[in-house]
Amino acid sequence: MRYETVIGLEVHVELATQSKIFCSCSAHSYGADPNSHVCPACCGMPGMLPVVNKRVVDFGMKAGMMLNCHINRTTTFDKKSYYYPDLPAAYQTTQWFAPVAVNGLVEIETSKGKKNVRIKQIHMEEDAGKLVHDIREDTTHVDFNRTSVPLIEIVSQPDLSSAEEVEAYLERLKTLLRYAKVAECEMAHGTMRCDVNLSVRPEGSDKLGVRTEMKNMNSIEAIKRAIEYETARHIDAIENGTEVLVQETRRWDDIKGKSFAMRSKETAGDYRYFPDPNVMPVVIDDEWYDGIKATLPEFPEVKRERYTEEYGLSEYDAEQITKSIALCECFEGAYAVCKSAKDAANWMISEVMSILNVRKMTYDMLTLDGAVLGELIMLVTDGKVGRANAKKILSAMFDDSTIKPAEYAEKNGFIVSNDTSLIEKVAREVVAADPKAVSDYKSGKEKALMSLFGKCMKELKGNCDPQTLRTVLINIVNSL
Amino acid sequence: MEKETLRILEMLNQLSLTQTEKDEVITFCNNRENDLKTLDAIDTANVERMVHVMPIMTVVREDVVSQPFTREALQAGAPETDEGYWCVPRVVE
Repeated sequence: MRYETVIGLEVHVELATQSKIFCSCSAHSYGADPNSHVCPACCGMPGMLPVVNKRVVDFGMKAGMMLNCHINRTTTFDKKSYYYPDLPAAYQTTQWFAPVAVNGLVEIETSKGKKNVRIKQIHMEEDAGKLVHDIREDTTHVDFNRTSVPLIEIVSQPDLSSAEEVEAYLERLKTLLRYAKVAECEMAHGTMRCDVNLSVRPEGSDKLGVRTEMKNMNSIEAIKRAIEYETARHIDAIENGTEVLVQETRRWDDIKGKSFAMRSKETAGDYRYFPDPNVMPVVIDDEWYDGIKATLPEFPEVKRERYTEEYGLSEYDAEQITKSIALCECFEGAYAVCKSAKDAANWMISEVMSILNVRKMTYDMLTLDGAVLGELIMLVTDGKVGRANAKKILSAMFDDSTIKPAEYAEKNGFIVSNDTSLIEKVAREVVAADPKAVSDYKSGKEKALMSLFGKCMKELKGNCDPQTLRTVLINIVNSL
Repeated sequence: MEKETLRILEMLNQLSLTQTEKDEVITFCNNRENDLKTLDAIDTANVERMVHVMPIMTVVREDVVSQPFTREALQAGAPETDEGYWCVPRVVE
């Protein structure tokens, strides 16, 4: 019998706000001392009242709009009973009855073509704290720095059916949320986390099988491996009766390549959701809604089409640059100054992206000012700085955002010399020192001239117009 | 509400009710259950959910960081702390 896998995802995304969702403590405490970003509110002390961070609602709405959701104009917070020391109030403040966004749609593309994945809802909620179990044997140590850091949870319908589709879906979410600048979405940093709900059924059946939920996956590769393992486990259980499948939450162990039962799956009833009497309804009026809508970015595919049609870029170049909103902004800034889309695209793809790769930075970590890159490109186009030295300047610009390319080139002796007498002097010295290259060139070996050319460029530290040098060099060699 | 359910609730809540009190509780609960059945029978399919009994909305604050409390002050009443952490009975084996 052939089987199909049915997958729904719950994706938690940490919102890129400065402060927490219900108090003004910093939301950025990575590497900070334990409990150094806490207050009575996020420590769950009695009598403290939460005050909603407006930007969390802004970002929740914006995420919903990016995923084609309906925005609930009156959205409410609820208490989810949760008895564990990483949330000291013994409940999580989340959204159950009226989440900020519902009924969305995300289009993904895989080797099998395009497909729509329905979004059930996006809700805003607070994160839990961190528990440390290995300091002492008899206690658990609790750090509330992460408690109340704002999250959105994006809940999909069970519309996915393979690891490839899940990867495409997660990549699409990352791209859209990063374009909207509402979240970093970096699984390695824990700013995007994913739970996979999976079941298996005979192909063509409309009845869902027993569903298990998998947690603890911190990369897309791990998620793919977990899906493949869990699918095989379900099919084996159905076909060979190796075990009885039960609805439960399982933990993925990526080193062992196996999932392990954690606990029986809770249902909504177990959490005893009820409206949070401490947070009044959030009412989104037209002005607020329209203000957020006006800040939505151009979608990646729209940008891609504009880059090819308006700027004349190749499909490949447009696709490379639109991989990240940071690349797009840098490219557009550079183009605005240098006025050559082709040059700007070449510099982005050949140099900027390559430096990011070498430095093991993601494209979204790019902070280079596009206008300054445009100034650098102009220096090369105008023949004022050689390309090799321009690359050095670019590298320095990554380290120091205050660098002005023209000033830096001047200061470091990178300005191309128009002094033909100097070029001729250096060329004569290089030719005199390498008679073999001269005779090789004269006997038809073109590469020998390139060798002399390279030596001259080195002597001149790259500060010379390549065409002038080549002409001078040929004249000298031919005159011998 | 049945007698057996009430017996369990009594035990869990460490109560000891007289027979008169038990009869009153059972009557009260069963009447409330009937009230809920009456409400359940009303067709509310096209009725917008009431989010609050008052026409009221939350205030929001701007996304600005402040840190007016020190860890020492917050942990002053803690039964046990260690290296800046709150300590609780071990929750994993």
